[in-house]
Amino acid sequence: MATERKAQVIWEGDLMSGSGHIESVSSGTFGGLDVDWRARSEEPGGKTSPEELIAAAHATCLSMALSNGLAQAGHAPEKLETSATVTFQPGEGITKIALEVVGRVPGMGEGEFEQAAEQAKENCPVSKALAGVPELDLNARLEG
Amino acid sequence: MPRVQREARVAWDGNLPRGSGSITAATGSFADLPYSLATRVEQPDGKTSPEELLAAAHAACYAMSLAGELTTAGSAPEHLDVRAVVTLDEVEGGSHRIVSSDVLARARVTGMDGPALQRVAELASEGCPFSALIEASGEVTVKAILEGGTDGN
Repeated sequence: MATERKAQVIWEGDLMSGSGHIESVSSGTFGGLDVDWRARSEEPGGKTSPEELIAAAHATCLSMALSNGLAQAGHAPEKLETSATVTFQPGEGITKIALEVVGRVPGMGEGEFEQAAEQAKENCPVSKALAGVPELDLNARLEG
Repeated sequence: MPRVQREARVAWDGNLPRGSGSITAATGSFADLPYSLATRVEQPDGKTSPEELLAAAHAACYAMSLAGELTTAGSAPEHLDVRAVVTLDEVEGGSHRIVSSDVLARARVTGMDGPALQRVAELASEGCPFSALIEASGEVTVKAILEGGTDGN
């Protein structure tokens, strides 16, 4: 079954001096987030950006794929802490995404965890959609 | 221009069907957004998902790109309303794939008719790094409408 998710953005003015906000999203989870070019390409000053939202999407997707892979291998995780850092080069595009995941997984060895994380990185739908990003790094380790 | 880095963190507890997670942006723009599998592939029930975050990223990226292209064309926009719909679908073999992102932009601009706006809207998609990425694996559609009742086509 296909699932659709929608977001709405309002923008006023030109690119350099104008500003916008993410007005609403279909779930209603967040809205009213300010965005502008300066915050996107220089210091964020508490404002989000497309790249930060992509980082959030990717970390979210990896966590779900990995929790599934671990459970299938008989080691459902107690906790996964995942981060994604997206590098944006204005004029060029998104050049790199670095994923990092720390897991609390009873009964699992480090090597096995790394392998499961690598597989989740390959298979999660966001990774597949962002396959054109030149560099996708993963650092996976167990807690402690 | 210097490189820009943006980070987000996610905490997930439990397995996939019954576990749940929360999402926090490093800039502090948003924090502790809840998500789970059931709300990702069924009704959202007030929870976000990777696809919703991508829809927000695409709409924000595209709005900036369109503002830039309209300004270059001599018609800086007064107001843009951009909506992006990202679709996740099950593909052969039972896995899920992001198959499309559909963008609809309503623009209040002066000095431009509908067909000219649609041409600029397509240029703006080419200039939005996120459109280019999605196009590598899915489909991106862009439709632009002049606000005030005149259809772009």
